[in-house]
Amino acid sequence: MKKIEAKQIYKNFQDLQVLKGIDLEVGEGEVVAVIGPSGSGKSTLLRCLNKLETINSGTIIIDGETLVSTTAAGQVQYAPGNESIRIATKMGMVFQQFNLFPHMTVLENLIEAPVHVQKRPVAEATRDAEALLQKVGLLEKRDVYPRRLSGGQQQRVAIARALAMHPDIMLFDEPTSSLDPELTGEVLKTMRNLAEENMTMVVVTHEMGFAKEVARKVIFMADGIVQEQGTPVEIFEHPHNERLQAFLKSILK
Amino acid sequence: MDYILSIIPQMLMGTVDTLKLFFVTIVLSIPLGIFLAMGRVSAFKWLRSAISGYVWLLRGTPLMLQLLFVYYGLPFIPVIGIRMDDFPAAVLAFVLNYAAYFCEIFRAGIQSIPVGQYEAARTLGMNYSQTMRRIVLPQVFKIILPPVSNETITLVKDTSLIYVLAMNDLLRTTRNLVQRDFNIMPFLVAAVFYLVMTLFLTYMFNRLEKRFSRYD
Ligand SMILES: Nc1ncnc2c1ncn2[C@@H]1O[C@H](COP(=O)(O)OP(=O)(O)O)[C@@H](O)[C@H]1O
Ligand SMILES: [Mg+2]
Repeated sequence: MKKIEAKQIYKNFQDLQVLKGIDLEVGEGEVVAVIGPSGSGKSTLLRCLNKLETINSGTIIIDGETLVSTTAAGQVQYAPGNESIRIATKMGMVFQQFNLFPHMTVLENLIEAPVHVQKRPVAEATRDAEALLQKVGLLEKRDVYPRRLSGGQQQRVAIARALAMHPDIMLFDEPTSSLDPELTGEVLKTMRNLAEENMTMVVVTHEMGFAKEVARKVIFMADGIVQEQGTPVEIFEHPHNERLQAFLKSILK
Repeated sequence: MDYILSIIPQMLMGTVDTLKLFFVTIVLSIPLGIFLAMGRVSAFKWLRSAISGYVWLLRGTPLMLQLLFVYYGLPFIPVIGIRMDDFPAAVLAFVLNYAAYFCEIFRAGIQSIPVGQYEAARTLGMNYSQTMRRIVLPQVFKIILPPVSNETITLVKDTSLIYVLAMNDLLRTTRNLVQRDFNIMPFLVAAVFYLVMTLFLTYMFNRLEKRFSRYD
């Protein structure tokens, strides 16, 4: 079954058309990489999927449940309040800027939402969080405040925090772009492990190595349009679209 | 020395009135300021405008004028004209005035929290009130501690304005003693009393700031 089905997504900010009819399908356990020049609408696409932005037209179905649809008359209809939150939070999100809660320790960051949103017992949420910290290799940092961590460590905590909600899908918006080059490896490795556990993932990234090796499907966006999509081999070895060819040339320099 | 000892009981009584006004004002104006600040950054344009108008009015006129208006002016207002005792009148004027200042402090604090904090909370399924209570406000408190500390210390001194309402606060008691005894010693004692109060507050705020700095 499809985990994400987005059809004909249109999004504009006032007069600025940012998404111009995007289609995106992600199957269960699939890793989809989204690449493209900056300003092409990649972040906006991710943010529309989990309703951080509302769309102007189109349909988004998450795990078989309709988050938003558009009538023939062009009326955009979101699932009612609580429903749309429930559907949107099937997706965990990892941001370029980590966005950890600075006034909470690593452990507190992880159990905050499980305890206060999902109403799980603190002891259980804590056990769960410790297992996740172990997985991302940061268990010994459980009582440390985020500011004491390196960027790479912060991002791994952010990944663990999203996973603590047991999401079906993980969205990554340039998770390594604000890291020093020597720290990207540890974050990419964490994401790779996640992919091997068959997590469904949509990853906006400039890490072409990661896209090549981990993604099942690569989507190239430019100007708010999916210009070309295919397997990593198709996209990186046999690109057809001129914009894609130019883009690949520019980043390989 | 004997003279000082002899006036201290009266001055302590005055101090009690001063402290009463101080505490009631703090306890009421800080929460009110937080609510106003949340309205000030809310999505409702009319609410934002109304509150900024309120803040502009209360910060743009002297507290003394507001105090006199509440006490002497309100009774003359048609329909709602109410006559209040001096203490409630003083509390009303001080709370309305200080809430305006606290509103601005909290507004600046709330707006300094990066939008990414709200977005992270949202993707974790937190609703607006959880996001404010658990994520935004705790961070705001840390940021606004120094300006709130300033405002609070100013309030200790501003309480002396109520001497115009013929309330026997510390300052008025002092002045009465000076006039009665032809001795300026009470002024010095009053200065010491005010200093002790502000020193205590400074100490408390320093401790709070240390507590909050643990996550730096
Ligand atoms: N909240 C916003 N308001 C106005 N314009 C925005 C907003 N968010 C993004 N944009 C604009 O939309 C376009 C696409 O942005 P974005 O989705 O961030 O691109 P990308 O992630 O591919 O770099 C850019 O021109 C950007 O300036
Ligand atoms: Mg982006």
